[in-house]
Amino acid sequence: MTLDDRAHSGDGHSSAPNRSAEGLGGPGAWIRELGLGIRFAAAGGRGGWARTFLTGVGVALGVALLLVAASTPNILSVRSERGDARKPSNVMSSSSVSRSESSFLWLAGDTDFRSDHVGGMLLRADGPRAPAPPGVARIPAPGEMVVSPALRKLLDTPAGALLKERLDYRIVGSIAPSGLLDATELHYYAGSDRISLDAGAVRAAHYGYSPRHKPLNALLYLLVVMICVVLLVPVGIFIATAVRFGGDRRDRRLAALRLVGADRRMVARIAAGEALFGSVLGVVLGGALFLVGRQAAGYVRLWGVSAYPSDIVPRLPLAVLIAVAVPFASVVVTLSAMRSVSVEPLGVVRNARLRRRRLWWRLVLPAVGLAILLFSDRVTPGSQDVDPATVAAGTALVLVGLAGLLPWLVEAAVARLRGGPVPWQLAIRRLQLSSGSAARAVSGIMVASAGAIVLQLMFGAMQQSFITPSGSGGTGRAPDLTLMSQDRNAVTAARLENGLRRTPGVRAAFALTEAYVSGPEGSVTGLAVADCAHLRKMARLPSCRDGDTFVAHNPGDAAGNRYVDQTARPGRAVTLDDYGPDGPAPELRWTLPADSPVVMTVPAPMGERYNGILATPGALPAGPLPGARTSAGVLTDPRGTDAVDEIRTTAARLDPTIYVSVRQNEQRDKEYDTVQTGLLVGGTLMMVLIAASMLVSQIEQLRERRRLLSVLVAFGTRRSTLAWSVLWQTAVPVFVGTLLAAAGGLALGHVMLRMVQKPAKDWWVFLPYAGVAGVLVLLVTLLSVPPLWRMMRPEGLRTE
Amino acid sequence: MTPAGSLLVAHDLRKAYGPTNALDGAGFNIHPGEVVAVMGPSGSGKSTLLHCLAGIVTPDSGSIMYGGQEMATMNDAQRSALRRSQFGFVFQFGQLVPELTCVENVALPLRLNGASRKDAERTALARMEQLEVDDLRAKRPGEVSGGQGQRVAVARALVTDPRVLFADEPTGALDSLNGERVMELLTDAARSANAAVVLVTHEARVAAYSDREIVVRDGKSRDMERVV
Repeated sequence: MTLDDRAHSGDGHSSAPNRSAEGLGGPGAWIRELGLGIRFAAAGGRGGWARTFLTGVGVALGVALLLVAASTPNILSVRSERGDARKPSNVMSSSSVSRSESSFLWLAGDTDFRSDHVGGMLLRADGPRAPAPPGVARIPAPGEMVVSPALRKLLDTPAGALLKERLDYRIVGSIAPSGLLDATELHYYAGSDRISLDAGAVRAAHYGYSPRHKPLNALLYLLVVMICVVLLVPVGIFIATAVRFGGDRRDRRLAALRLVGADRRMVARIAAGEALFGSVLGVVLGGALFLVGRQAAGYVRLWGVSAYPSDIVPRLPLAVLIAVAVPFASVVVTLSAMRSVSVEPLGVVRNARLRRRRLWWRLVLPAVGLAILLFSDRVTPGSQDVDPATVAAGTALVLVGLAGLLPWLVEAAVARLRGGPVPWQLAIRRLQLSSGSAARAVSGIMVASAGAIVLQLMFGAMQQSFITPSGSGGTGRAPDLTLMSQDRNAVTAARLENGLRRTPGVRAAFALTEAYVSGPEGSVTGLAVADCAHLRKMARLPSCRDGDTFVAHNPGDAAGNRYVDQTARPGRAVTLDDYGPDGPAPELRWTLPADSPVVMTVPAPMGERYNGILATPGALPAGPLPGARTSAGVLTDPRGTDAVDEIRTTAARLDPTIYVSVRQNEQRDKEYDTVQTGLLVGGTLMMVLIAASMLVSQIEQLRERRRLLSVLVAFGTRRSTLAWSVLWQTAVPVFVGTLLAAAGGLALGHVMLRMVQKPAKDWWVFLPYAGVAGVLVLLVTLLSVPPLWRMMRPEGLRTE
Repeated sequence: MTPAGSLLVAHDLRKAYGPTNALDGAGFNIHPGEVVAVMGPSGSGKSTLLHCLAGIVTPDSGSIMYGGQEMATMNDAQRSALRRSQFGFVFQFGQLVPELTCVENVALPLRLNGASRKDAERTALARMEQLEVDDLRAKRPGEVSGGQGQRVAVARALVTDPRVLFADEPTGALDSLNGERVMELLTDAARSANAAVVLVTHEARVAAYSDREIVVRDGKSRDMERVV
């Protein structure tokens, strides 16, 4: 007894006349027919299972991604909690507590190694009861350190040797996961007896920083809403596509049921039952994929972001929503798809007669979406009332509307194509006859591309709101690295400069000691201390001997020079200010020699101009200068690959507290970086998912045509002809989809920029996405070739 | 040894699919212009014999000579070229490309051989006229009846003027009236083109259109005396 027999014996014999009437409604009928559909999906033999499995895998990919998205709040929140828990309580105020048995000194010891950030802290216990940071048993003794497992692994490799020179401590233990952001984090705590309050350290008594909640910048908030919509709408479209895998063969099976008396509503419900089974299977598989996949999270680091598997936990309400909404959506999608197909007892009408798609209703969704966004309030960084629902609804309507437009556009485009070689003709004719499944497969990539184009346009335009220029700027020349020593007793400028010059990869180095002095009326100017050779590089000096001082003016800067003169009055005393971590320290008064001439500054070797007081060491009192800092600028040899890390190592050897900053043209706001990282991670996952969906869809189509492919091969069709046909069949919808994505993305981007009142920086942002689309087409075609080869085997001709 | 004048000869063919021996020492020969029916019950190996003779499937052992050349020495590309230029095929169903119109389907083998579209469709139309389906030129396979579709398939099989036409249950999906019409047209067209026809069927009335019958049973073949 076949499945058909079982189905018919249950429905067709004793109760067939009544079933038609029952089939018109009622929950009982619904359950029966859904159950029959589930039986078809579950007991349809190898072919049936293959189709169900394809749907299941497609839905599973989408569900897994949704579960990752639902876990994101938890990932961010536990990372943030662990990050705050290990910060000393006074990390932001830098105001020291009083010394006690349970206090400790800390100093940030972060550094960078090649492209990785290495977080760290130098610690010095004041007494035996000084607490250790989370994940660490005790504060390491001087000369010792505890490290994260990832850092230990790096230091053990030859590649980490240069870093090992910099972190020249004995490893005595590992930091437990409770003290780390993720398994791949590079982090250490080192014990040091060289840190002191004078050297910039801060005294604290416990860990755990409680940040005050700061509302997210309104523009950023808007971006985050946009990113969520842009990432999740394609997932939804992808799932909707997956539940229609195998639709053609299913329709033929349903036609057979119509022949034995099933009415249209019954077959629709049976089809829904089949989709329901596939989607529930997909939810289960997706859950399993998520659970298995998150185990790999600890090994994966994308753009500096990783997570412990235990952190990747979806919020319960969201997980429940996914588990319920996906199967429900699959039923809705199937029922709506069935409306466009007329399953008749002798076959599926769609196959015999083409019905042209209509345009007008497909324009409604994007038009409504654009209208919502056009009539929304303008958003500025300080806006308090950004309505996420409006923005999300408007954006989602436009993106979903674009997905609806694509089948019409593909159909309209291919309808005009004629001629060409055989592979082209085969592909175009196939698309002319049925472009729906191809368009559906491409709609995911199209929507993702359109969304990414919008985000890139917004990022480009809003970048100015999130960047702060670094360096002196304006001189056209700036050091590749800047070093700043907090230790006012430590290295002298000369020692630092000599050390840097001997470092491999350093082309030039310039160091000097700087401080601030205040005049009697509270005006402030700079004081630069260096020998005559150095001072000559900073200003045009008439003559110079140790013990000389100068008042330096910037040429053409009358206002700035007047301000310098208010403080630097030859023969009058100035005060050397020291606003250390414990507030103003005892000040040091010093008289600017009366014979100090006014000189004009020149750009120093690193491009800066130093106006204010220039002094040789002999002119100042012996000993450390209150509030002084030693700074150095370094130019590196562009051919030296490890110059930056060599310099960091030199600096750490001279003074572990030296802060090294590498020049970047722009220093991005951290929030901006975080959002952009989120987009990159999400976009990558999305692209992988889309490629997978296109491949699954392609293989499904090939399966449907197995026999035809075998026949074509039988009468001598070259395999390359069919492979080219597959390529064109994928490429044409992707090309049309990319055009639509570019047009839709630029239009939506224009509206969004109007909302945030920013001009577009670059209208060509869609080009990379067109490139990605091209690569995806090639990738999908290449991966389709092995199954295509298999399905062209003569076994497809066998009927017995 | 090749029987005198034979176009296609096979000896001692063996082919197994897993544990099942589809062919177990089968033999075959056919002369130019001859129509040979291969008969046998379902699962006897007759379709496998046809696939081996046409170079679609490689036998596990045995010899197939076409025009004096051993097919086992040909690679896949050579066998494909042979099928494109020398052989024609008609199957029971599922053989027309549903996206192409009927004339495009018929012209397809010519286009695969490098003919221009215009020339290929002109030749295709002439064949379609011969098979009385030229009025279907602009229709797609989904829009024509089973009998009409099968006649289009015959036109396609003959459009390259093949020396051998392989027909695997060509009337299996047709009613008797349509089946007979297709067989009449197929054999008439083949004979007028002096093409040999290998006709796989299990129906005696279809086999009646042949000059000679071969019965395949349990993978073995033997010639049948025609009982009139």
